[in-house]
Amino acid sequence: MTALSTLADPLHPFETQHRTELRSGVSYWLASMATMLRFDFGRMREWAAMMVLIQMCMGAGMVIMYGFFYPQVTASRALFIATGAPTLALIPLGFVMLPGGIVQQKLEGTFEYIWSMPAPRSAQAASTFLLYTLLALPGTALALLVAVWRYDVPLSISPLLIPSALACALVSITVGYGMALAIKSPMVTNLVCNALIFVVLLFSPIVYPASQLPVWLLDVHRVLPFYNMAVVMRAGLTSGVETQVGASFIVLAAWTVAGCVVTAWVIGRRR
Amino acid sequence: MIDAGATSFIAPRSTVTRGVDRWTRDYASMLRWHLVSLRLWLMVLTVVQVLSGVGFVLGISLFFAHIPVTAALFVSTGVPVINLLMVGLILGPQLVADQKSSGSYEYLRSMPVSRSVSAAAWYTVCLIGGIPAMVVSLVVAQLRYDLPLHISPMIVPAVLATALAGTMLGYALAHAIGSPMATRLITQLCVFVIFGFAPILFPITQMPGWLADLNWWFPFRHMAVIIRAALTSVPDSTVTQAYLVLGVWVVASAAAAGWVLGRRQ
Repeated sequence: MTALSTLADPLHPFETQHRTELRSGVSYWLASMATMLRFDFGRMREWAAMMVLIQMCMGAGMVIMYGFFYPQVTASRALFIATGAPTLALIPLGFVMLPGGIVQQKLEGTFEYIWSMPAPRSAQAASTFLLYTLLALPGTALALLVAVWRYDVPLSISPLLIPSALACALVSITVGYGMALAIKSPMVTNLVCNALIFVVLLFSPIVYPASQLPVWLLDVHRVLPFYNMAVVMRAGLTSGVETQVGASFIVLAAWTVAGCVVTAWVIGRRR
Repeated sequence: MIDAGATSFIAPRSTVTRGVDRWTRDYASMLRWHLVSLRLWLMVLTVVQVLSGVGFVLGISLFFAHIPVTAALFVSTGVPVINLLMVGLILGPQLVADQKSSGSYEYLRSMPVSRSVSAAAWYTVCLIGGIPAMVVSLVVAQLRYDLPLHISPMIVPAVLATALAGTMLGYALAHAIGSPMATRLITQLCVFVIFGFAPILFPITQMPGWLADLNWWFPFRHMAVIIRAALTSVPDSTVTQAYLVLGVWVVASAAAAGWVLGRRQ
């Protein structure tokens, strides 16, 4: 009896305590994000190791696979394949695996469940971004190592690589996330992602020089994120190959903002 | 007044129906079921298949400043193999994985048709999903690169065998593996292998010897051999061997899928 009498309302012992809590502010947001991160990782734990492994295999695999398409891998081809590989390793995670995960969540109903949780939706989105960026990095690094080992390419790594890699990871994840949220039907999402990856792997000057493209296609690529991702990554890995990175960073920033705006718009709506 | 029709409606059938008639009837129903339930999906798929086939044929030339004829020939005769594999090996298992996630899988399994009927109907759907894209890719390749193609009647068994091996392998992946997530992962891996690590789109001499040897144990290399032999006049002594290896894969995959589907749960 004494224990009960200390509570303000013995019938609803926890309600009063929760109501007094402030559910806004930076610290609340950060705490929510940390909790969401734990929740997301907990759900993903079974597959996280597998995903990192696949990511690494795909990154390293693409490096090797592109070489098979050429009768002879010359020094300049090798340089382009090696410096394009990290970009290629980043793209599938954001544009395929992340939307795929969201599609799966929508089919299972987990998507609605997560939205019903008392955490700011922006914190939920931020936790997904962070987790996928962390998952993307090992594959990217390994792709580069494999490329150096396989083709014996002389790289000169500059500090520019850090903002480049972060910008690429961010653009791929924000655009992929925005796309997965904005498109309602899981089947259409799947289709768009698969079509995208196809366009990226074949028609983007990531592993071959942009000069091999017809002029109109290159113009299209100047405003799409993929070629610009390759440019900034290559600029961080070599000296003298890519000189004009400013415009590419601006395009990437624009795509990141667009991805965030779409995400914010979708998660801010009531249904 | 009870007429004959009403009696048979009330009383259970006294004879077991089996045999060729029953099989054909079931096959027609299952095929109709698939075509109707997948009508939108199949239309979208055909468009995607055509676009990706044509895309690959045209896109490969961007990899080179000037594309050599051999490279163009290998890509153009390899893309049909990928078109044929796409439904049976890649999309089919993913569709089944989706059905498992959404619960319609159990419902489909409860239908009163035999396993061979289901498999045959699905194989037909895979052919319908693959052949149009294959034809369009070849025509575009011919127009773009002016290739020395020589199509022999062997193209019929080659297409049928390639699609059958792909479909049966996909069938085994879809049904014999319990977890939908694992099925999805393995099919993704297969996509990766057929595009880059099997000698389908490029000559086998461009890959390391050990990888070429390893590919002998998998069906993809042999599919490319039989399709390419039927499309070009280049003699290939390994065609018979390729058919044999594919046959073994068909039997093994069908047995694995059939065993799992035939078990009681």
